Amino acid sequence: MNSINKSTLLLQLEQRIELQLKTVTSVYQNLTDEVLLKPSSKGGWSIAQCFDHLNSYGDFYLPAIANGLNKAPFSSRNTAFKSTWLGNYFTSLMEPGQKMKKMKAFKNHVPKSNLNPHEVISIFITQLEEFLSLIKAANDKDINTIKIPISLTNLIRLKLGDVFQFILAHNDRHITQAQRNL
Amino acid sequence: METAYTKLKDMLLAVHPLTEEECITFLSIWKPFTAKRKEILTVIGEEERYLYFVEEGVQRVFYMDEQDREATLIFTYAPSFGGVLDALMLQQPSRYFYETLTPSKFLRTTNTELQTMIQSMPNLALLINKGLSNALAGVLERQVELQCFTSEQKFVKLLQRSPHILQLVPHKYLANYLGIDATNFSKLINKIKI
Repeated sequence: MNSINKSTLLLQLEQRIELQLKTVTSVYQNLTDEVLLKPSSKGGWSIAQCFDHLNSYGDFYLPAIANGLNKAPFSSRNTAFKSTWLGNYFTSLMEPGQKMKKMKAFKNHVPKSNLNPHEVISIFITQLEEFLSLIKAANDKDINTIKIPISLTNLIRLKLGDVFQFILAHNDRHITQAQRNL
Repeated sequence: METAYTKLKDMLLAVHPLTEEECITFLSIWKPFTAKRKEILTVIGEEERYLYFVEEGVQRVFYMDEQDREATLIFTYAPSFGGVLDALMLQQPSRYFYETLTPSKFLRTTNTELQTMIQSMPNLALLINKGLSNALAGVLERQVELQCFTSEQKFVKLLQRSPHILQLVPHKYLANYLGIDATNFSKLINKIKI
């Protein structure tokens, strides 16, 4: 696993969130309830359900990451970050791609069926803004040593740098899924 | 970069005629500045050190109380001036935040340089006076809208003034600016064909 300069990685992550925010702001928040709530043509999730699913991850990870950052001491900007094998594996599993395999949502992350769709989108935007501010704060912390338990089990703890990467890959996965409902 | 200065020059001349020499002198105190999304440029209780000219992006001036209740007072976007103008001109601590809502590009000048130049250039003082009067006219007009208009009228007026703002800015900021709650704002989105 190659190492990468921390600032470079965090800048890439910021740019990725920026693109996600642009997409949601320019497209999804402007759709009608009808479009946002329509199940996919194959009977799968609606657009609102895709974003509600993502929000359930934000609900878990935002406070966990904020907590990890708060407790960590200052660390200089110009350091290297190295993904773990497991972190990389999770991220690659989440990345959207040509042959996207269908996965089943884990319990606690199954979207609700009676949703207020614009509220769901608005929460997603606020969460992305919060991720941005956490990434900003991470510039002065060691993203190798801060470990965050994953939402499936607190037996597995990943490096903060890996957690950021797989959450953003996961966002793109379901934004791609939502796109198919347009 | 040159285009930003050209836009600023056009903006100035639309407010009040300056001679070419006055224009060049005034333009010389402006420097490029960029900020990412959600960066606070001016903090409540601190001085407003800069006058901004927006080249790209959307920003807002907003108030926040002890209970974290927000009031979005003004949006700024290209081509317009930005910053907390009352704090700037009165040189008093700002009562508001100024923050970017999207990645932004500006020209900006320090208040120190601005005030020095206003004092040495009567024509510039006139220009600033006219500019601030226009800003006051805008604030009073909005006050009427806030007190007399229905939610739908306020929404329509916002779209007339800034047609692309729905696609640029998260709706929560627009709803806050108009004083409409989120539920009613989403009803308007459902109702009005964009």
